[in-house]
Amino acid sequence: MLLGIGFLYLIWQYISDIILLIVFAFLFTTILLPAVDWLEGKLRSRGLAVLVTVVSLIAGVGIFLSSFGMQLSNEAMDTYHKFEKEELITVIDNLRSNFTAILPEFAKEILESSSDETASADKISGYVKTVLGSLSQLTSAIGSFLFFATMILIFTIIILYEYHNFKRSLVSFIPNKYFELGLRLIRNIEKQVSSYLHGQLLAASSVAILSIFGLWLLNVFMDANLSLIIFIGIIAGLANLIPLIGPFVGMVPAVLVAVMNNIDTGAVSHYLFNVTPIPSPFFIFDIIFVFLIVQQIDNNLVTPKLIGQSVGIHPILVIIALLIGANLMGAIGMLMAVPAAGTIKAVSKEIMWAVRNTHLL
Amino acid sequence: MKNALWENIFRGKSKEVSQEVLTLKKVPVFEGLEPKELSEIEKLIHHRTYKPDEVVFRRNAPGEGMYIILRGKVDILTESGEGTSSVVASLTEGDFFGDLSLLDKEPRSATALAKDHTTLLGFFRPDLTALLKRKPQLGVKILMNLAAVIGERLRKTNDLLSQMQSKNISATNT
Repeated sequence: MLLGIGFLYLIWQYISDIILLIVFAFLFTTILLPAVDWLEGKLRSRGLAVLVTVVSLIAGVGIFLSSFGMQLSNEAMDTYHKFEKEELITVIDNLRSNFTAILPEFAKEILESSSDETASADKISGYVKTVLGSLSQLTSAIGSFLFFATMILIFTIIILYEYHNFKRSLVSFIPNKYFELGLRLIRNIEKQVSSYLHGQLLAASSVAILSIFGLWLLNVFMDANLSLIIFIGIIAGLANLIPLIGPFVGMVPAVLVAVMNNIDTGAVSHYLFNVTPIPSPFFIFDIIFVFLIVQQIDNNLVTPKLIGQSVGIHPILVIIALLIGANLMGAIGMLMAVPAAGTIKAVSKEIMWAVRNTHLL
Repeated sequence: MKNALWENIFRGKSKEVSQEVLTLKKVPVFEGLEPKELSEIEKLIHHRTYKPDEVVFRRNAPGEGMYIILRGKVDILTESGEGTSSVVASLTEGDFFGDLSLLDKEPRSATALAKDHTTLLGFFRPDLTALLKRKPQLGVKILMNLAAVIGERLRKTNDLLSQMQSKNISATNT
């Protein structure tokens, strides 16, 4: 046992990516499996059922991303055109002179000495190098992300297609003595993880719908001039999958769009909900308020109904699991922390049940 | 001269029926299934091998499904309060046991013990549940057969009960 742990520790750096890939593929499989099983019953072909499910998923994500990208770039162009070029240059010049004025004398000298031609040329070549370096880093990051995503997709397709055979092969390794206990354990873990993931997806959908509704109300009753509210809602819902920090991440696109859309309007001096005397620049506080209400509804009504019963882990343990997840794998670790804790809880519960009710352990 | 390549191409699918399918065919739970459906069940069942006197399952252990004896013998034992056990049934090839666990989640009511080098075919509740989703028609056929098996058993129990009651009545009358 100790030798095994030691060996795993030694090879962890080489296999961690592959394990992460398989874990992701299993998570996607758990989410898509009911749909594939149901479609197999209708289409009478597992291969076709997997194909239809995966193609629908890719098409859905593709349509969402492309239309979101297009609309976002249109928004950015609109914001850009809101400024006259001369006006923008004047604003930047003013900012620079104001900034230089508050600098101490030695800093001003450094700034002036660096403004000769040779220094400028050096600076420009430095900028070019930095930009090129960043571009190559970005290209390699996009490349590795695409590779990772493709591998997850391929693994998910294979596992979806062979799921029941894989499970049968896995079960065949369980010793006779623990065979039925093992089957029960696997069934309960499957149930726990599946209901948690489906609960999370339902909670994310409810956050998305409530956010869209809240932002729509701001547009209709407060003239908040917010665009892309459907996309913002969906992003808020997806961000909500990461516990604790997700809800705050979900607010960011809404706030950015509010700033972009209202930068040239009188909304800067807007007061919270036109009533409360708190200045809400670009409707930012209104948006934060809407998201807080959405979070309250989600935390107190939706999530306890959907997820609380399925995993039922104490909030302190959730925080501990999240911290451990964040330490091990960052944001991805946080995303997986609660299902992992749920799995550990299911395993412990089953072992306790076996100790109390059977003579096997 | 024979050409191995052409022989293999035109050989077609083997029509040989496996030992497993032949055994499954005789089990009332799989009665009336088409050969294709039996092959589908063959893909779902689990092969388990047991040594003589090895426990298949114990009383009160979680019950997840039924077993069919492919080879060997199995004794079904019930335990009395004093720790002694008695054999209530000795099963041989083609017999099946534990079928009630396909329907409910109650723990096992008796202990099953392999009496020989035994190979069992296991068909379990999670597989039946998955089958009902993936191939509902086949799943329903199995459920109907299972209901028929349990109905038959209930009828026999009722007959036994009424026989015992009539014996009791005649004993009290005399």
